[in-house]
Amino acid sequence: MSSTLLPEERALDAHVRTNSSKSKRYGFFPGCVAKESCKELFNSTMLLADKLGIELVELTAASCCGASVLNDTNRDVARVLNARTYAQAEALGLDDVITICSTCTGHMRAANKELRESEERMAHANAILGKFGANYKGTVTVRHLLWLLIDDIGLDALRSMVVRPLNGLKVAPFYGCHIIRPESVNGWESARHPHSLEDVIVALGGEAVDYAGKTRCCGFHVQLEKDGIASSMVGQNMRMAKDNGAEAVITPCPLCHLALDGYQADAAARWGRTDLPIFHLPQLVAYALGVPAEKLGLNKHLIDPREVMVSRDLIN
Amino acid sequence: MAKIKLDIFRFDEATDTVPHRDEVTVDLPETTTVLDALEYAKAEVDGSISFRRSCRSAICGSCSMNIGGVTSLACKTSCGSAMEEDGSVKIDPMPNFQPMKDLVVHMDPFWDKYARLKPYLQPNDADSAHATERRVSPDDMKKLVDVANCIMCATCYALCPVVSVDPAFAGPAAIAYAYRFIEDVRDGKRTDRLAQISEDYLWLCAHCYACSYCPKHVDPNDRIIDVKRATIEDRVMMNERGPRHALVVAKTIKQTGMLAETEVIQGTVGRFNIRGLLKVAPLGARMALKGKLPPPFLKPVLKVDEIRTIFDALEAPVR
Repeated sequence: MSSTLLPEERALDAHVRTNSSKSKRYGFFPGCVAKESCKELFNSTMLLADKLGIELVELTAASCCGASVLNDTNRDVARVLNARTYAQAEALGLDDVITICSTCTGHMRAANKELRESEERMAHANAILGKFGANYKGTVTVRHLLWLLIDDIGLDALRSMVVRPLNGLKVAPFYGCHIIRPESVNGWESARHPHSLEDVIVALGGEAVDYAGKTRCCGFHVQLEKDGIASSMVGQNMRMAKDNGAEAVITPCPLCHLALDGYQADAAARWGRTDLPIFHLPQLVAYALGVPAEKLGLNKHLIDPREVMVSRDLIN
Repeated sequence: MAKIKLDIFRFDEATDTVPHRDEVTVDLPETTTVLDALEYAKAEVDGSISFRRSCRSAICGSCSMNIGGVTSLACKTSCGSAMEEDGSVKIDPMPNFQPMKDLVVHMDPFWDKYARLKPYLQPNDADSAHATERRVSPDDMKKLVDVANCIMCATCYALCPVVSVDPAFAGPAAIAYAYRFIEDVRDGKRTDRLAQISEDYLWLCAHCYACSYCPKHVDPNDRIIDVKRATIEDRVMMNERGPRHALVVAKTIKQTGMLAETEVIQGTVGRFNIRGLLKVAPLGARMALKGKLPPPFLKPVLKVDEIRTIFDALEAPVR
């Protein structure tokens, strides 16, 4: 099964790599972090795609989405880089670009909105893309894997595919800012009262934990700007989750994962120990759908999720 | 008509050590604004309930409070939209502020940050000898109109997660207002203003878009990006970690097509900043033990030349 291979093990013989021939084809934009410090996210996404019976066509020539930082340096560069990515998807006959990162989702959607709402901006981007023979017509839609699960697979179908229910594991959702805000860019669900992650947790047989921190910021984007900021934001949010009974956290964003997984230890001095394991969305879904736990890269997490999984009889 | 249970935070700093809650039931349509319901409760049930208000139409910016866990203007929020299943509407003072009495908070930190901006036009000395009025073209004015709509209700400041952990951060409203003067063609202190707002931790904005809930659509989030870009264009306080971070991200994307995590950390903290690198080292070591360190070097993505062409065509700055 090709999808179990690490990305660098895959052949680079074409501009795309596909995991197999499946009925539903989607353009796939994994983002930088899933190819660097969170490879376990990339691998579990491909394993999940196999279980869901969908084909993720990776856009291997795509660039970084701009990561919310590139806009700070230049007004246009992130938009044109993303136009290039969409042009690649269009050239491959793909209508959707599926992301697995909240920040990629928000910033790619923002760029797409800017392009599609203004002929002037579209022409500006295409004038540059034209230098290397590319062109974006504006047909691509950017969606997160979370939305694909609910819109295309469906919660009922997902529930019926569960072979290893989560046995009431108390999971706190952590959305990550850019998959919900600004609402004018995302707008797939209410930014103030989202419930898609809760719906997925329940469909997998877990119990969703409500807490005020679920839509707040993890601090990832300012972790380097000033010492202690990100860890305080992480501590604040994880304290709320823990106090409301959470045993684990699920997030659709690898940046949130890195901050929440990495900084709870530093936050303990001010916020008390929380030690909540942070699952990537595809890890927990893939587990419930029957992917062996040892293939999900759970051993890569700083806070090992396997202890809490043992306590709920999910693994031995 | 419906029975609306107003579940109100009560506290008086003059007499109380801890807050308590009062429930006041009012018989009003669900479409009633929270402000009107509070006015009714104060007039008919308990005259001691304290809250700030004036215009009742989202112009004065006085009545921002936490309604059902969401900070917004009480005059712009209906009871029905914030009602729990049991018919209650939970009303608290704005977060990120110290409560004074009930829903009234100490606004001083918010005003102090605003005052630091010198929020008035400061033309160049040469301009002060102007014989005629200083004119602004419609295009130049257009840039300022949205920000000028700010009513200083402090909703964005109350929602800001960075303010909640570091009160030194200027906050969204002050940065948006800084933009209003930085981009005003009549002002002569652009560089000073950019330096001031950088010192007040402009670059600590976490890009979370919590301030996109602005009730007046000022969108401080986008103005913060504009001000950051202006500091880079004018090369003001370029050795701060914020601009270093942004420019090294740009550099790695131009070189490899990807955001190269390892180089971004080194480039932001400083390759020769031993003390700074030691501070991030423990987390790096924990990640290394788990085999989670990002690779030290990245192979460029396919057709990376195209990416470089885009950067060059736009003359986008990189470090």
